[in-house]
Amino acid sequence: MPPTDDFNYEAALQACARGDAAALQRLYQQESARLLGVVQRMVRNLPWAEDLLHDAFVQIWQRSGSFDPAKGSGRGWMYTVTRHLTLNALRNRQQETARETAVDEDTLDVLDAHASVQGWREAEQDFAWQTSTGRMAGCLEQLEPERRVCILHAYVDGLTHAEIAQRLGTPLGTVKAWIRRSLTALRECLQ
Amino acid sequence: MNTDWNAQAAEYVLGTLSADERRAVEARMAQDPAYAAEVRRWEEQLLPLAALAEPMAPPPRLWARLERTLNLPSAQAVQPTPAPLPWWQRGWQSLAFWRSVAGAGMVAAALLGAVALQEPELPAPRFMVVLVAPDDRAPGWVIQASDTRQVNLIPLGTFEVPPDKALEFWTKADDWAAPVSLGLVAPGQRLQVPLDALPPLQPNQLFELTLEPATGSPTGRPTGPIQFIGRAVPVL
Repeated sequence: MPPTDDFNYEAALQACARGDAAALQRLYQQESARLLGVVQRMVRNLPWAEDLLHDAFVQIWQRSGSFDPAKGSGRGWMYTVTRHLTLNALRNRQQETARETAVDEDTLDVLDAHASVQGWREAEQDFAWQTSTGRMAGCLEQLEPERRVCILHAYVDGLTHAEIAQRLGTPLGTVKAWIRRSLTALRECLQ
Repeated sequence: MNTDWNAQAAEYVLGTLSADERRAVEARMAQDPAYAAEVRRWEEQLLPLAALAEPMAPPPRLWARLERTLNLPSAQAVQPTPAPLPWWQRGWQSLAFWRSVAGAGMVAAALLGAVALQEPELPAPRFMVVLVAPDDRAPGWVIQASDTRQVNLIPLGTFEVPPDKALEFWTKADDWAAPVSLGLVAPGQRLQVPLDALPPLQPNQLFELTLEPATGSPTGRPTGPIQFIGRAVPVL
């Protein structure tokens, strides 16, 4: 069953909280491909990304009782659960072993150059993306290009300040300052 | 709420905090509902950026695994019994193998089956690598290693290389500092490479073919775009 535009995430999550397994399956059919794309983009390791997606849906099922529609959208809640599970796994692993030494930087640079820069350029021109991201697209446009890339490397690629600094060949302090100011600018623009 | 904590809330959602900083934010969210609400506002505001990641359909086995983990009633009451596989396909059924080929899917399985059938005289490979194109994950080469001292690079098709360029074959294990060249490769031709000068082949070892000047990389490191890439997986 393909994803649909008028899916009721809140009702499905509340059904999960009542133990309705079919509701979890509907959520999975609706959102698993998009969520796997989000996780894989951050971890760049498909077996690990699949493990994390599995764990995310376990949490979505087990914590569905704590979802409160008054506090935000059901779809947003699923992304929050999945992204923070993934970020915690990434950062915990980085604490144990520096990720930079565990992967081939040359390879990643080539793949990332394609995935991030080109992906961004394509997305920039993609009308569907413009509409799905709404005001965010316009607010991102107002950031200087190198600062916009910092925000996207962080949110979409899951990179730390240090990794972004290394990737862009920009001092760490500059990257941190750019990100703080960009977040402030985004908030002002979105409000 | 001071400015630093507000900034931490935003960067927690953005993803740039360290493991320790993340734990501090989560601890504060648990105690401070106003702070948790501030984090949620950032979640909703930055959520549209998630649309930039290209969707990837998970394999059907992932839902089956979820059903087992959560002990859910299966949608299919009776699971069909799969037919027994011919011997040469059993290795391809291993989870590690499927994970390694990822998006290559059935095309790779069919091609690999064909390669395996053509090579009945070879002993069973201990390691297998499918080299796929980074863009579309189309499989282009298979590497078989019947022991850890030598690898066979087998083309799955022909591949055009510009006249002033050459394909160079590289490998790198997880704990090596840099890729090591295994030499130039003629498109469409098999290549046997002894690994005498290198440590034994390891699971997850990276192999790649890059486009280099006709005489090979001038620097001893890959300089051109990756044409095919894959990692070694142990096979049964």
